Amino acid sequence: MFITVTQALLKGFSTNFIIFSITLLLAIPLGLVIALGSMCKFKPISAITKIFVWIIRGTPLMLQLIVVMYGPSLLFDFNGFERMEAALIAFVINYAAYFSEIYRGGIESIPTGQYEAGFVLGMSKTQVFFRIVFMQVLKRITAPMGNEIITLVKDTSLARIIAVVEITQTAQNFIASRALIWPLFYSGVFYLIFCGVLTILFRFIEKKFDYYRG
Amino acid sequence: MAILQAQNIIKSFGKLEVLKGINLSVEKGEVIAVIGPSGSGKSTFLRCLNKLETVQNGTIILDNDYIVKDGKYTKDKDLKPILSKMGMVFQQFNLFPHKSVLQNVMEAPVIVNKQDKEEAKQNALKLLKEVGLSDKTESYPCNLSGGQQQRVAIARALAMDPQIMLFDEPTSALDPELTGEVLNVMKDLAKQKMTMIVVTHEIGFAKEVASKVIFMDEGHIIEEGTPKDVLENPKHERTIKFLQRVLN
Repeated sequence: MFITVTQALLKGFSTNFIIFSITLLLAIPLGLVIALGSMCKFKPISAITKIFVWIIRGTPLMLQLIVVMYGPSLLFDFNGFERMEAALIAFVINYAAYFSEIYRGGIESIPTGQYEAGFVLGMSKTQVFFRIVFMQVLKRITAPMGNEIITLVKDTSLARIIAVVEITQTAQNFIASRALIWPLFYSGVFYLIFCGVLTILFRFIEKKFDYYRG
Repeated sequence: MAILQAQNIIKSFGKLEVLKGINLSVEKGEVIAVIGPSGSGKSTFLRCLNKLETVQNGTIILDNDYIVKDGKYTKDKDLKPILSKMGMVFQQFNLFPHKSVLQNVMEAPVIVNKQDKEEAKQNALKLLKEVGLSDKTESYPCNLSGGQQQRVAIARALAMDPQIMLFDEPTSALDPELTGEVLNVMKDLAKQKMTMIVVTHEIGFAKEVASKVIFMDEGHIIEEGTPKDVLENPKHERTIKFLQRVLN
């Protein structure tokens, strides 16, 4: 029984892991684009971006999942997405919005003197941003990003709301099919281990940045 | 022939006019000390020279090239090489905290001037030696005193081989016992005939090093002349009052 459950949970968790990985892979760069949009000096762009972030952060991810899943086919003449596609789209958009605010906070925390120092040395805006500002932003956002990424691990189980079979759903199925509660606790161990690994990883990254203050 | 000329510089922040028609001509090798009460516009004037602030009107010419002509700026592409002839040192040092002392000095020559890395390194080491920091090349700014950080900042600006150096209150953020080491580096530069404009509260430094002293108040140049004229025999009442305040 233990082996059956383990295999089933592993299979379920692989779905969570795929959602987690692809969300990070796409939301991390997309978040930067959104952050730059919300800081854009051209007002219409920053306004639209800020409204977008407000809507995404102001409504439940669960609601967004349902909208992405069923919205396109009901509102437009479009067949809609596969379940997994819909889940990934909702996760990427949601997390990009959160990441964008972390980036924005980090970027805005860098003193203007850093930009000025780069400028008077003849650097271009792009050089100042990527070589001077962004390198310092990385240190400042490590802790909040770690926090958000650990939240993502557990949020992936929300995908079940649009019937993506993931680990929590799998574990719960054992209650229905075999009246077993322990697979549910066992599924928690998967999350704990994964989050534990991430915690250690982020502590390691923070240590890497310890070589300077500022 | 003046290396830098500023004519009729007008600068306002919103409705507040902070520079009300400043004229200044700097000869090669001159050291200009700009003094005046806070809010007089002296730092703003310095920052206008290298376009950290944009002027509303006026003309700035550096080494026969227009930076701005009657309020109209030269195109960015053409402006960059002109501006890079000016080095600047800030009150708050503004070193790059994530880079070592050596990297701070090498950064711009390598990525802006595309200088060979080894060549840039040798030059940086030479400059750091000149400012007395040969033993700190691998340190990070957070582990240096304010005076050391400011000396790195000076070396960093010199690495771009500027024709003129702008100093914006370079010792104002330092503990009194650390100002000397920075002022000494600046004195050495003056001896090497570096053209310098120094916004400062150090009247003693102005007296000793400057070839010309400018007293600014409320957006105007009130008085200018040799240190002896302006600091010892000021003619204008506002200059007299200011000097009485800072010297006591």
